[in-house]
Amino acid sequence: MKFNPLHGLKHFFSRDSERTLMKSVAITIISLAVFLAGWWALSSIFPSAYFPSPYKVGVALINSFENPDPNFGGLTMWDHMSQSLGRFLWGFVVAFVLALPLGLLLGFSKVAENLGKPIVEIFRPIPPIAWAPFFFVIFGVFWGPILPVFLGVFFPVLSNVIFGVKSVDPLLLDVAKTQGASKLALFRKVILPSTIPYMMTGIRIGLGIGWMCIVAAEMIVAPGGGIGLYISIMSLVGRWDYMFAGMVVIAILGILTAGLSGYIERRVSKWMGIK
Amino acid sequence: MDGHKVVLSIKNLHKSFKKDDSELVAIEDFNLDIENGEFVCVLGPSGCGKTTLLRIIAGLEKPTRGTILLNNKKITEPGSDRGMVFQEFGLFPWRTVRKNIEFGLEIRNVPKEERKKISDKFIDLVGLKGFETSHPYELSGGMKQRVGIARALANDPAILLMDEPFGALDAQTRNLMQKELLRIWSETKKTVVFITHSVDEAVFVADRVVVMSARPGQIRYIFDVKWPRPRDRASVEFASLRKKVLAELEKETGMNR
Repeated sequence: MKFNPLHGLKHFFSRDSERTLMKSVAITIISLAVFLAGWWALSSIFPSAYFPSPYKVGVALINSFENPDPNFGGLTMWDHMSQSLGRFLWGFVVAFVLALPLGLLLGFSKVAENLGKPIVEIFRPIPPIAWAPFFFVIFGVFWGPILPVFLGVFFPVLSNVIFGVKSVDPLLLDVAKTQGASKLALFRKVILPSTIPYMMTGIRIGLGIGWMCIVAAEMIVAPGGGIGLYISIMSLVGRWDYMFAGMVVIAILGILTAGLSGYIERRVSKWMGIK
Repeated sequence: MDGHKVVLSIKNLHKSFKKDDSELVAIEDFNLDIENGEFVCVLGPSGCGKTTLLRIIAGLEKPTRGTILLNNKKITEPGSDRGMVFQEFGLFPWRTVRKNIEFGLEIRNVPKEERKKISDKFIDLVGLKGFETSHPYELSGGMKQRVGIARALANDPAILLMDEPFGALDAQTRNLMQKELLRIWSETKKTVVFITHSVDEAVFVADRVVVMSARPGQIRYIFDVKWPRPRDRASVEFASLRKKVLAELEKETGMNR
């Protein structure tokens, strides 16, 4: 039994994936270069203060990080970034902590589902950002911009967890029962682990929506700064290069969070042995 | 060993399903005693209720009427005193081979060192040494079912229930697994109820072949196969018994000439 046919297979796949990785990195670089060249060309053909060249935006970007801005009482882009990230994290964590058990409950119990589903369905179609003025007035300046993020993350996680519980393979439940599992053991050892990939999908979708919500909410209220606020102020004072710099920061942070969640998802799948 | 002690006793078993307004009778008037250490095959046309029968023994379904006694105790719910092996393996994809086999032991709070000792023993028995930390996706169909068998045996059940366990395997692996199962069976001396629709498989492995009729499922005929093992598929006796069993089965499917 020393011979393991999987070793050769793994080796083959890793070499293969290395090659595809290099290839996709090259294509990404080309795509970014084409994008920047197109932007550059358009901004030189149509010179306008409203449409700065990538160079100007780049200068503004560096400047925004290095020099405190008197428009914001001396805050730099680092401060705006940490404000936005902090709010995002708050909203995300609270949403996840509440959506996970609620999703498990609604997926598991028919009664709970019948009770909870209509309420969920009423609130789900309302764009989280529509709540921002209400949240601001009722819950104050701290929670005001956080709660839209909360809603943006809450619903995708909730519906994916519910779906995950309902998608548990009935065969695995039968197996566990014949192995003597109690209801609690079924839940802990079969339903919960089966739901994890769905949970991860909910998180990935929630991250994207939450990120959009924080920027939009900060345009309405953002004590102590925030990238959303930064963008709206810069457009009001007519510094379009700085406004675009703020948008670049959002894009980069969004890509980073999506990459991080993708990484975690892959690690979890690998750890769980799911391919 | 008390070889003639009845382990499993099925008495007047009746199972019907309600479908719209009509009643669908799956099993009717089923009586069977299975002795300790016996290898019984239940053979029948598809839809004859043989899987339902096994699921009732496992406690996954309730009979409409009748009782099943396991060591004189009435079966009412699933339990680890009956080990079940499923056609589609049903391995937990997030658990390694060892953790799959230890599932039932974990449920019963068997201490860790004890669990490892038991899983080591069954990993060895089913020939999976070296694959303890593999996940199911890394295994072939035959290896998956080895895990399934080890997992069912790890609880030391009074009876092993096998629902077309090799139905998802290719013909060659299937033949190999039949031999492996007989080896495992002779080493563990477990009582086995084995569901199949393959006449060849039934005659190759079983002490008794129970042929079921098409719906409603009743016992049509019981063949005693008191031959030593390993059996020779190419022998004249094997071919002749296979023909007889097949004839009995085909009367049910309306294929007899």
